[in-house]
Amino acid sequence: MFFPDNYEFYCPVKINSGNRALEHLPVELDALNARKPFIITDKEIAKKGLIKKITGAFKDSGITLGIFDGVPPVPDLKLVRRLMNNYRDTGCDSIIAAGGGAVVDTAKALNIVVSGRPEDLKESAGEDLIKSPLGPFVFVPTASGTGFETSRFATLGGLSFSSHFLMPDLVVIDPRMVTSENADAVVSTAMIALAHSAQSYTCPAKNPMTDTYAYAAMQFVGENLANVVRSGDKKGRLALANAATMAGIAFSNSPRGMVHDLGWAAGDISGLPHGICMGILLPYVLEYNIDSEGYHMSDMLLPIAGFEIYAGTAKNLKARKAINFIYDMQHEIHDITRGNIPLTLKDAGISKDALDGVARAAVGEGRLGFNLDDCMVILEHAWEGKQITSS
Amino acid sequence: MDDFKEITAGNKPFKKAYVAIMLWFVGRAIQAAARVDKDVKKEFEKLPDGFTFCLGVLPRGPYMIVGKNEKGRVKYMGWKPDGKRIDLDMKIKNIEAAILMFTFQESTAAASARNRMIVDGEVPYVCAIVRVLDIGEVYLLPKFIARLAVKRYPAWSFGRKYIGRVRIYFRSILGY
Repeated sequence: MFFPDNYEFYCPVKINSGNRALEHLPVELDALNARKPFIITDKEIAKKGLIKKITGAFKDSGITLGIFDGVPPVPDLKLVRRLMNNYRDTGCDSIIAAGGGAVVDTAKALNIVVSGRPEDLKESAGEDLIKSPLGPFVFVPTASGTGFETSRFATLGGLSFSSHFLMPDLVVIDPRMVTSENADAVVSTAMIALAHSAQSYTCPAKNPMTDTYAYAAMQFVGENLANVVRSGDKKGRLALANAATMAGIAFSNSPRGMVHDLGWAAGDISGLPHGICMGILLPYVLEYNIDSEGYHMSDMLLPIAGFEIYAGTAKNLKARKAINFIYDMQHEIHDITRGNIPLTLKDAGISKDALDGVARAAVGEGRLGFNLDDCMVILEHAWEGKQITSS
Repeated sequence: MDDFKEITAGNKPFKKAYVAIMLWFVGRAIQAAARVDKDVKKEFEKLPDGFTFCLGVLPRGPYMIVGKNEKGRVKYMGWKPDGKRIDLDMKIKNIEAAILMFTFQESTAAASARNRMIVDGEVPYVCAIVRVLDIGEVYLLPKFIARLAVKRYPAWSFGRKYIGRVRIYFRSILGY
């Protein structure tokens, strides 16, 4: 195992996962000195009856709950102000976010304002500008997510936040909450987990702690994704939700990386879930970096492909095999979904002319370590579906 | 705002009633087993006189309290912990976890391993009481259910198991 000269790792997140995990909420909130939670979710999740499962977990507790189930796909600062009034008027003292993406971004922004002053929100935008711990915050994942949920990041109304104080105090992963008929959502969430954990596992900031989370996340995705898409395997869904949580923690302790930034920009342009775009781009980015990061990519083969393939592959071929395994996994999912999950950026509906915009948006994120030319090489290959080493 | 509402979580009266009956019976069965079974007797002999333990469900019960009086006799002391000095407090975190345990879908050991219980007291006392509970379950339940509830099903003689079972049921029902 790789051992750096020095490293830093931070994870304040307690994870409660498995059968009847939701029922632990009253006790866990009590341990956080919280008596009245404010549940935030969106209409889709409420319509599926998932909020009833959360409120059902509070039966016999005598607790009164505030519930807001109207988070739109693109929330704004106005919404956060309205929620702040609800939160304060009803005497809530903690937040439970049920869902992914927009719901959790809203919950994190709300937590900033209810833990301080309303004007703190704009002042807190940026890197590590939140100066003190926030109120109790619980995240309950559903089948779809952006990978930001357990992380230290949040984006809302054009503001980006990055602080360890934004990480949830508790993540409750219950199999009843991670059911979904939507293959896009399942694949997108799993691919974000795979992309974030693969990046964390191969980046210069890697360390034994991030490796542990990233390794388990990659293993869960490698073992379960195809099965879940094919048959909706319940245990597999729970494993994928765990993978997303672990990848979020690894991601919080690593730089964002090329797959994330390119995938995010491609998702914004194509309108496809960001995870689908990250999934398309992941093997191309790995291939592009195989000369510099191949040593760590070799180790990735074990969690994503399993012992037999790892043991049967020569040392100098392991990195290439890991990348090919990801290509194969994508083809398998493409076939299972009868072509609904695209294999290339071209299939994803991005025109070749738009690639320059994607690259500029990704580089504009201000990441170190790659430039416009790097991005264009990767994007052009991913657009055509042509492996980089074959060109 | 239309999308916002406040609700008070309801109750689970049937599940609570089921667990309350089970705790009541298990409490009386422990009292009976302490007079009938040599291993249970030995476990309680190691505990100090006046020792009392409570097994219950958070946040508001039901509970059972069992203790040793000053003469060293093990007694079921009812379902109200208020006003009693409790040496060992074992709380199941919620009624669903209690249902998993008392419908024997999850053993006491598995429930502890899955962090479904909060224990306030000395670890040796906890271990002793978990062993007593396991023995009690072997007496009270048929083998195919008890195997799910205990970590390892014991190989007891016919006499110990079946005669002991009849005596413990008899004493539990009559309460002595």
